[in-house]
Amino acid sequence: MFMNNFEYFAPKTPGEAFELVGRLGKKAKILAGGTDLVILMKDKIVSPECLIDITNIEEFEGIKYEPGKGMVIGATTKNSEVQYSEIVKEKYYALAYAAGEIGSSQVRHMGTIGGNSCNASPSGETPTPLVALGAKVIVSSAAGDREMPLEDFITGVRRIDLKEGEILTKFVLPEPAPKSASRYAYMGARDANEIDCVNMAVNIELEADNQTVKSVRLVMGSVFVRPLVSAAVPALLNGKKFSDELVEKAAEAAQGEAKPITDIRASEEYRHTIVGVLARRLLKEAFAAAQEV
Amino acid sequence: MGAWDQRENYVREGKPSYLDERRFTQVGRSVPRIDGPAKAKGEAVYTADMVLPGMVYGKIKRCKEYAHANIKKIDCSKALALPGVLAVLTGDEAPNKWGIVPASANETALAVGKVRFYGEGVAAVAAIDEETAEAACDLIEVEYEPLPALLDPFESMARAGEVNIHENAPDNILHKGDQIYGDVDKAFEKCEYILEKEFKTGRPQHGYIEPMSAVASYDTQNGLLHLWASSQVPHYLHRQMSIVLEMPMSKIRVTLPAVGGGFGGKGEAAASEFVACLLSRKIGRPVKVTFERADVFYTSKGRHPCYMKWKIGLDKDGYIQAVDFDNTMDKGAYAGWGVVVMFYTASMVHLPYKVPNARSLVRNVYTNLPTTGAMRGLGGVQPRFAMECMLDELAEMMGISPYELKMKNAIDSGYTAINNMYVPHTEYKKCLQTAVEKSGYLEKHGKLPFGKGIGLAGGYYISGTAYTLYQSYKPHTSVTLKVDTEGGVTVLCAAAEIGQGCNTVMAQMAAEALGVHYEDVHVQTGDTEIGSFDLGSFASRLTYASGYAINEAAREINFKLREMAGGLLGCRADHLEIKDRMIYSMFEPKFKIEWATVVQKYVNSVGALSAVGHFSPPRRKGIDIITGNRIQGANIGHSPTFGFSCQIHEVEVDVETGRVYVKKVTEAGDCGTAVNPMSVDGQVEGSIMFNMGACLYEDMKFDAKGKHLNPNFHDYKCPTFMEMPDMDTNIVDSYDPTAPFGVKETGEGAVQPTFPAITNAIYDAIGVRFYQVPITPEMILKALKEKKEKEAGCGCGCGA
Ligand SMILES: Cc1cc2nc3c(=O)[nH]c(=O)nc-3n(C[C@H](O)[C@H](O)[C@H](O)COP(=O)(O)OP(=O)(O)OC[C@H]3O[C@@H](n4cnc5c(N)ncnc54)[C@H](O)[C@@H]3O)c2cc1C
Repeated sequence: MFMNNFEYFAPKTPGEAFELVGRLGKKAKILAGGTDLVILMKDKIVSPECLIDITNIEEFEGIKYEPGKGMVIGATTKNSEVQYSEIVKEKYYALAYAAGEIGSSQVRHMGTIGGNSCNASPSGETPTPLVALGAKVIVSSAAGDREMPLEDFITGVRRIDLKEGEILTKFVLPEPAPKSASRYAYMGARDANEIDCVNMAVNIELEADNQTVKSVRLVMGSVFVRPLVSAAVPALLNGKKFSDELVEKAAEAAQGEAKPITDIRASEEYRHTIVGVLARRLLKEAFAAAQEV
Repeated sequence: MGAWDQRENYVREGKPSYLDERRFTQVGRSVPRIDGPAKAKGEAVYTADMVLPGMVYGKIKRCKEYAHANIKKIDCSKALALPGVLAVLTGDEAPNKWGIVPASANETALAVGKVRFYGEGVAAVAAIDEETAEAACDLIEVEYEPLPALLDPFESMARAGEVNIHENAPDNILHKGDQIYGDVDKAFEKCEYILEKEFKTGRPQHGYIEPMSAVASYDTQNGLLHLWASSQVPHYLHRQMSIVLEMPMSKIRVTLPAVGGGFGGKGEAAASEFVACLLSRKIGRPVKVTFERADVFYTSKGRHPCYMKWKIGLDKDGYIQAVDFDNTMDKGAYAGWGVVVMFYTASMVHLPYKVPNARSLVRNVYTNLPTTGAMRGLGGVQPRFAMECMLDELAEMMGISPYELKMKNAIDSGYTAINNMYVPHTEYKKCLQTAVEKSGYLEKHGKLPFGKGIGLAGGYYISGTAYTLYQSYKPHTSVTLKVDTEGGVTVLCAAAEIGQGCNTVMAQMAAEALGVHYEDVHVQTGDTEIGSFDLGSFASRLTYASGYAINEAAREINFKLREMAGGLLGCRADHLEIKDRMIYSMFEPKFKIEWATVVQKYVNSVGALSAVGHFSPPRRKGIDIITGNRIQGANIGHSPTFGFSCQIHEVEVDVETGRVYVKKVTEAGDCGTAVNPMSVDGQVEGSIMFNMGACLYEDMKFDAKGKHLNPNFHDYKCPTFMEMPDMDTNIVDSYDPTAPFGVKETGEGAVQPTFPAITNAIYDAIGVRFYQVPITPEMILKALKEKKEKEAGCGCGCGA
């Protein structure tokens, strides 16, 4: 229950932060909201000698949207801010909704969107919609920035492509396509403070006829070691007129791709079933929403 | 809900108030809780908040390797060498056995020679801070010799010859009993409808928010020990402490700071309390031991999983003729309340329906899982689940509504069950009627679209017990009332306010009995030195018991004040009534004087007033003096009176994901007089949520070696605010003329119908009956799949 003693740093500028992260290396852990890290420390799963609190650095925080260009979300932006942001809700609905489904109000006001991806739990709420929306991450260090798709940044269970000296600083989301909409859903035993047994996001873009799928992205969470981007669903739907039969096929295809496990929260079989259910529901919801745009 | 004030029902025209025992002014008010403001503001002081000068911290080293093992060696030398460590403690330093039921007491403060469940305490440390104490625990080295872990009662019985959990229980059975009334086999022969089913219940825990905490201060000068603890049974705790510490009770004082819930889990002593006391005595400084949630999951004694076989028979008209009940219970590692809970399951067969022949064969079996014990609605919830589901099914067999079947069999006031339990008063039928009418049950049942369902169930619970848990003939509750010119009215009773609201209703009842206002009364509970004797907060006993004692004490004080007032007014004392802070003649309006004035005159001329009232429950079992026959039954399970309730749940089942959503609950309860209707609503809503949890979500899980898989609120899933259904709770008009102020219980009766009401509603929604809780989404999907396959048949049209 008690954390080890550690040295606490609270840099105010990106420069100071990069210097500290570079210098302290493996001895230090980056601290954002602490809603994952502090729990791991109390359970003595990690016992870092130093903590570098990056939440005082203005440059790492906030939501900026430029029409036509897209959105940049700073890594230390609170999940609650993402949840309540009108512009996120309007442009990237699945993300706002997913951020609002994290834990409880208290947890959302403490935890950050960067922490959610860096924690890299397969059941994490926001990586799934972020990947579906085509988000890229900017990983920065004293040496400069690296940019990569979020699905490449998260490499496994609690594993990310973060080199010594680097900090995740931003998410970059492309401007949503004109006739597109995104939706997110999860399944668990209850409706708050729940660790998802499956979550999923769908981002769909329609042709001008309002019927034909121009492109679709379906991403699954909690059924693989990292967010799983469906290859089969776009292959089935892209360029086709949306129909219930196609949705059935797409749902089956998603089920074929998922690689769930059995644990205390759900069996492999149940997760498999839920992938089908969520895929059917989300594809239909997102399609209906895109028709309205 | 809430705002409804039942007082209106009591003001009946044409009857003067002094002839109308139901015309209350303080009882029946929805006054805010005495303890409410401090709790809402975060100012209530719980045990864990306490800091005493010189206080140090204790921690318990737990066995995290095995669920069953002999302890070969405990080496504390490294822990003792750690700077900041003041003392260590092992089980053999306090080997006296404790337990709430003396005959089966088999627990020690810390394990002696053997651990019997995962997480059992093997040693403890006192250190200058919690961090050091925790580090010291890690330095204690324990050598174990692992034994096979028995994780299932049937395996435990089968392998008893080879693996033995307790030396004095060679069959691994704590206790078994047969309770046979009438001739069950003969009765079944005449039955038209017979149903046989097997049921199984899960392993939920109470989920109170405040983990156990204890602060003990032993004074080495005078040998006095003061223990502050988070308990619902200060008296039993006091007793156990005296046994384990080998100190007379008069040298020990138990005080309860604010307590954050109990639900039965704090209805026994806890290791935190023994360890704090033993360490404090050892080092002569106050010691605090506070549990973490995992400690609570390891040690708090939750509900017994029951493996039940049932057979119920009805005659051609639907009257119950016989009930045959066989129950195997998972006791976990130690006895605790086990014998009591076991016999309660047997006695619950007899109400709230007329059962002329009943046979209960029950046994409580040790396993290497957490000890089970008292949990809200103790002994009632499991059999009620089965009986109410089976009556639903039997009604379907007969082609009548479950409501009709239950009304037909429901008992009336003055009923004596075949096991000799006597029910002085019941409005159970009114509960059924009210809930059915308000929910539209008859219009909806069997007629809702697939996936939506409505289910009905009833239940009852005791309002206290007839016997103490150890041989004793003393009153179960004593209340001292103190009236003076400084403090006004003070109620002194060593009862336990654990959040259930007893302080508030005791103030209301005392105000009613003395003719003053609720706001005039102070209540001092939770202290064995200040308060008069009380057994504790369990068995939904306190409103009835304290009400009776309050009335008795008030009678004495009122007598004295009336005499004084009669003298002052110049009229006869027995013409005087006391109400609304006035003492007045029933017959002559001019004879009237303020209550406070009379108190002042009395104090000036005689001195301060005080009186003690007592409550001893009526007993049923005993010797008939005339015939010399011993009257059997009605021992465990008998109560001065009983509360009744009916719940109707409306559910929606997501047939694709298997999730069950309880949308609406209509409840009607007979709690006798609702002393505080707002508090009753709170108890009922809490009860429904409580067992909704164990019906759909909550279950403790273990791996193949008995290690806990979910000892935390992340994976042990209680329903949250989001799962709370719309609730319509109704208090039916009820008044038990044999009870003080006409009261009964409400804290445990309302948990009884929840499992079967939800289960019956699920059946109504999807046509599948479940005989096991919790009912998980995976179970729903599996059952739906099987149903579909069955309905599709083999394809040849044969129906197979
Ligand atoms: C009660 C409770 C309920 C929860 N429920 C949910 C839920 O429903 N869904 C869900 O997805 N999560 C849930 N969480 C987890 C948690 O709240 C989120 O993952 C949150 O977004 C983490 O953010 P943080 O800022 O608190 O991260 P921190 O705990 O500060 O950090 C997490 C990890 O990421 C690293 N890190 C953080 N920021 C950066 C950065 N910018 N660059 C590099 N590394 C970084 C840290 O070093 C650490 O290893 C819950 C947590 C709690 C306590």
